[in-house]
Amino acid sequence: MKILIIEDEQELVSSMIQYLRQESYVCEVAYTENEALEKLQLFEYDCVLLDISLPDGNGLKILEWLKKQNKSEGVVMITAKNSLEDKVRGLNLGADDYLAKPFHLPELAARVSAIIRRKHFDGNNTILVKEIEIDLLGKIVKVNRQETELTRKEYDLLLFLIANKNRVVSKNSIAEHLSGDDAELFDKFDFIYSHIKNLKRKLLEKGCEDYIKTVYGLGYKFTV
Amino acid sequence: MKLLQVSLRSLLLYSLLVVLIITPLSLYFINRILKQEVDASLQVQTEQFLKHIRGFEYLEDLEMDLAVLDKLSRNMSIKPLVDNNTAKETFQTIRVYDSIDHDYHPFRKLSTRVDIKNKPYLLTVQVSLVASNDLVVAIGTVETILIILLVGGLWLIKRSISQRLWRPFYKTLDQLKAYQIDKNETFQADETTIDEFQDLNSTVKYLTDRNRNLYLQQKEFIENAAHELQTPIAVFQSKLDNLMQSSALQEEEAAIISGLEDTARRMARLNKNLLLLSKIDNNQFTNTENIDISTLIPALIKNIYDVAEAENITIKTQLKPLVIQADKTLIEILLTNLLHNAIRHNHRDGNVTIQIEGYCLEISNTGKPLKIDPEKMFDRFIKGGGTQNSIGLGLAIVKKICILCGFQISYRYDQQHIMTLVFK
Repeated sequence: MKILIIEDEQELVSSMIQYLRQESYVCEVAYTENEALEKLQLFEYDCVLLDISLPDGNGLKILEWLKKQNKSEGVVMITAKNSLEDKVRGLNLGADDYLAKPFHLPELAARVSAIIRRKHFDGNNTILVKEIEIDLLGKIVKVNRQETELTRKEYDLLLFLIANKNRVVSKNSIAEHLSGDDAELFDKFDFIYSHIKNLKRKLLEKGCEDYIKTVYGLGYKFTV
Repeated sequence: MKLLQVSLRSLLLYSLLVVLIITPLSLYFINRILKQEVDASLQVQTEQFLKHIRGFEYLEDLEMDLAVLDKLSRNMSIKPLVDNNTAKETFQTIRVYDSIDHDYHPFRKLSTRVDIKNKPYLLTVQVSLVASNDLVVAIGTVETILIILLVGGLWLIKRSISQRLWRPFYKTLDQLKAYQIDKNETFQADETTIDEFQDLNSTVKYLTDRNRNLYLQQKEFIENAAHELQTPIAVFQSKLDNLMQSSALQEEEAAIISGLEDTARRMARLNKNLLLLSKIDNNQFTNTENIDISTLIPALIKNIYDVAEAENITIKTQLKPLVIQADKTLIEILLTNLLHNAIRHNHRDGNVTIQIEGYCLEISNTGKPLKIDPEKMFDRFIKGGGTQNSIGLGLAIVKKICILCGFQISYRYDQQHIMTLVFK
């Protein structure tokens, strides 16, 4: 899978590459608008991570160009502004997702994997990890072909962990993924623990191996 | 007291003083001039009479004639002088009883010693004077009319001046009173031909423009600073996410990373709220629509349900339909912040009660009384409770939204924290 990262902040780019590489994505970088347009003309990418505030122009122009060229790249807009107009304009111009700075890398990985899934496996919306089978359309989780009843939050949590498999996912990033802005209440209430506990119990009940490991002091890890 | 009243008062006081000084002075001078005039005419009469008499000095019976003349003439008398020592000429003011008026009238009298046929005579000529009290009355009347005309005239002039001349001034004043640095575009004063007012208007315009520019720069600075901080925080956060993946982490190191992550999150939240404040300042929320508060609240409660449950906090609602017109994003932020506070400043097994009554929404929650002044709780960076988690901007945002939308928010403590929000 090839990803183009269009972002002018080098340190952020290197972190993103380091994290995404573990999911065996091939990452290329464009630091300017011109560089980005050049690369997009020459190569095909599965996903484009686009910072819309670039030093030599507005990233929305790249979106317009992609739309004009009928390119099929999935685009995640990244912005420091978090303004509603930018979001609406970007999504209207064909962006698939929107991520405001600062973000957690596990969140980025989850968004990227969702886009790649959508782009590449049309009609086949199933994720298979060992004995776990997830039907994305029906939002049904089966373990060893047996359906297991998960709540909405548990389902989201499982997908999030699988998108970041074999990597430590912090409690903060889980809280923000599950609850968005309401996550700010969570450092008083460590309630994620109960979601994890319930999810683990339900998977184990159906004979699933215990993949979800607690990483002491940091968070959780889906190990396969 | 108005400027015109003050100046008018001084003018009136001064004219009163002038009138009070002038009245006795003019009385004195008029009297003096009259007296001089009368004295001169008495002298002329005396001289003419004497000249006339000298022509008849040869007559034998002149003495007889003089006696007759003395009897006939009312204002003149000529009598043989007994006492030889009388002065040559004496002026006198005397009072004579008037049998017609039954009153005394003042007369001016000139007594002259004359020698007719070597015999001394006393010639007295007298003229009636204007009564001085009549004069006082006349002058007093004139002066009173003068005062009335002065006061009335000045008052009328003042009124027309304040209505016409000072109009631009009052207009500028009204505009200044209504001026709000965050609302008004620029200060626009009406054209005026008066130099002072033109000067005032241009100074006010210069001042307001300068302040407004400073205000806009400040606002832009806050917004830019918050924007620019997003990327460094994102870098910081992403480095931590990668650092966590290291397999050789000791427990101590993990604790440090976890602490750093919490800090990064606090920074991100602080920044996000600063951005939100400046966005509200910049009027970026203008999608007004009909919102039913009673349907919005259950949706927002759902978001915090997990947290409330984890702390065993019971949320009770008594909702009646309440439709308002506002920007939905703003109202969601407003209510979310209030609900978060009700949960955050609560204790285990506590309660949150939300009720709507008319245009009034009341959110009350159990919890320890405030340690800070309730007056200050809506200010920025004021943290009330003992929770580390709060960044002190939640209620500042609430207040800002309320001001923008024209809502009223108030807080009181009556065994529990009670926030009252009045829409409209």
